[in-house]
Amino acid sequence: MEQLLEQIAICVEFGKINKLAPYPPDMKGQDGADELTGKALDQGISADDVLQKALIKGMEKVGIKFRENKIFVPQVLMSAKAMHTAMEHLKPSFQSGTIRRKGIFVIGTVAGDLHDIGKNLVSMMIEGNGWQVIDLGTDVKPEKFIEMAKANPGCKVGLSALLTTTMGNMEKTVKELKEQIPGIIVLIGGAPVNDNFREKIGADFYSPDPQGAVEYLNKLVA
Amino acid sequence: MTSKERIRAVLLHRKADRTPLDFGATTVTGIHILVIEKLREYYGFEKRPVKLTEPYQMLGEIDDELLAAMNIDVIGFGPRLTMFGFPNEGWKEFRTFWGQEILVPEKFITTLDENGDLLIYPQGDVSFSPSGKMPKSSYFFDAIIRQGPVDEEKLNPEDNLEEYGVLSDEDLQYWNKNLEIIKRTDKAVVANIGGTGIGDIALVPGTFLKQPKGIRDVAEWYMSTVMRPDYIRTIFEKQTDIAIKNLETVFGIVGNEIDILYVCGTDFGTQNSTFCSPETFDEMWLPYYKKINDWVHENTGWKTFKHSCGAVEILMDRFIRAGFDIINPVQINARGMDTRVLKEKYGDKLVFWGGGVDTQKVLPFGEPEEVKNQVFEQCVILSEGSGFVFNTVHNIQANVPVENVVAMLEALKEFNKQASHY
Repeated sequence: MEQLLEQIAICVEFGKINKLAPYPPDMKGQDGADELTGKALDQGISADDVLQKALIKGMEKVGIKFRENKIFVPQVLMSAKAMHTAMEHLKPSFQSGTIRRKGIFVIGTVAGDLHDIGKNLVSMMIEGNGWQVIDLGTDVKPEKFIEMAKANPGCKVGLSALLTTTMGNMEKTVKELKEQIPGIIVLIGGAPVNDNFREKIGADFYSPDPQGAVEYLNKLVA
Repeated sequence: MTSKERIRAVLLHRKADRTPLDFGATTVTGIHILVIEKLREYYGFEKRPVKLTEPYQMLGEIDDELLAAMNIDVIGFGPRLTMFGFPNEGWKEFRTFWGQEILVPEKFITTLDENGDLLIYPQGDVSFSPSGKMPKSSYFFDAIIRQGPVDEEKLNPEDNLEEYGVLSDEDLQYWNKNLEIIKRTDKAVVANIGGTGIGDIALVPGTFLKQPKGIRDVAEWYMSTVMRPDYIRTIFEKQTDIAIKNLETVFGIVGNEIDILYVCGTDFGTQNSTFCSPETFDEMWLPYYKKINDWVHENTGWKTFKHSCGAVEILMDRFIRAGFDIINPVQINARGMDTRVLKEKYGDKLVFWGGGVDTQKVLPFGEPEEVKNQVFEQCVILSEGSGFVFNTVHNIQANVPVENVVAMLEALKEFNKQASHY
């Protein structure tokens, strides 16, 4: 069992989706996250164990390597794809509630901004760390964030912005979220944003990399 | 010195009478139409609608009045067709979300979607799905991804080469017409003939194509660079060969009347890192860049211009090895992009075109005094020993206060007055 979970973690870490996938070249022809997760569940390994001991473990390595510039955006996207392929097998268990999740994370790019690569990377890392992620996409108005946050009490919210012209909308969204839902935790990120800006707009956390957000969220529920 | 002489001197890392300045010569050194209107007002020029010359980022025309008032030393010509595949001709009036009356090309055809966001159509053809969208609270367009399902068996690099073809008769007429202006100007000239941008992520979605095929999704493209490297290499290879043919043709028309070739705007840097490893750059990009740059240097007197945002200090050596002469925008607030270090390590081999002021914090949100101080400081560092053309870090965006643009220009003037090493 341990060995199979370890293999799935390796597939996630190195972005091996399935047997047919040509990437990474040195794993060509081997079973990928898809086959191995199916096999694990068939052998009676619990979906929760697959999530906790394989997917989270694999994605954590991805997050750290990305932060340390050992891997780059394309590799992270491949890992996320492998993780999502494995997640598909776990879907019934998510729906039936037999898998423990750390919490709900609502994420989106703020109004006026259509950029999503950074937001998607954060979303994938957080999902891969055991959180249920509700991704609202791009150009998300403050009302939408508030609606989703109210519908999911206790959730944490992540806001992304790439443009200096939409940083104002980020400020507005944080303000309205905090007014409407006192005590709500809001994380921010994006190229022009930094910790000074976070402090100015009253958000709770800023990280220059996705792994920082993962670690912050994990501390909240530790 | 004329502007042309000034830029040419700086490109050769020789002394000039002052630091030259670019605004508007390329689509990465331009000014948003809203700021252009405010600048015209500041200088007391006649109030008239600004011409939209780059519809994707909503950059405006820097006309002769502004060129003169701002002491700009360089003008530029892009490919005949814009990012949405139509030419800049047949001007008509248009009112933006922020209430500005501007002039847009006749094929700038838009509709509003159910949220009231603005949609724009490729080549102005509404019978195809829109290729760009400007949200109501935004100031420019972004690409709409039109990616069909990817069938590995049917993937054909030719599908990603649709936009790269031999220049048409209309293109040749366009360059012949440009030549008349180029011959008359005393400014230096940057030309972007199109097709030399290797793997530029802004071009991948094919906003100018009616129905793009191949890999058009941004994430799918990034993954393809590791998952389907042969597919990507084939595109780059063929694209490079076509580009060199077109360069030969354009050189036959304009010769050495132009000074600089804008080669590529592919961004390799993020705020803190790069989009690929240096090794991947060496394998996937460097050979094609080198082929283009070598052709230019062996056959023309042009200098070559590379744009890449972000933390690319780690790639500077490689840009030099690839044969680039000029690097832009010198994103001074990205990790490792300390201009003192850049100048010290690469200043004798690369011309820094940009980096004059930070555009993520200082220019849009700082006080004029802060802008002045930073401009002065950056000029001192970057102009040392020549090899510096002043520009901000990328385009001046819509939210930049005109007072800060004026402060920037004043600081540059002040620096030029005081610069004793010239």
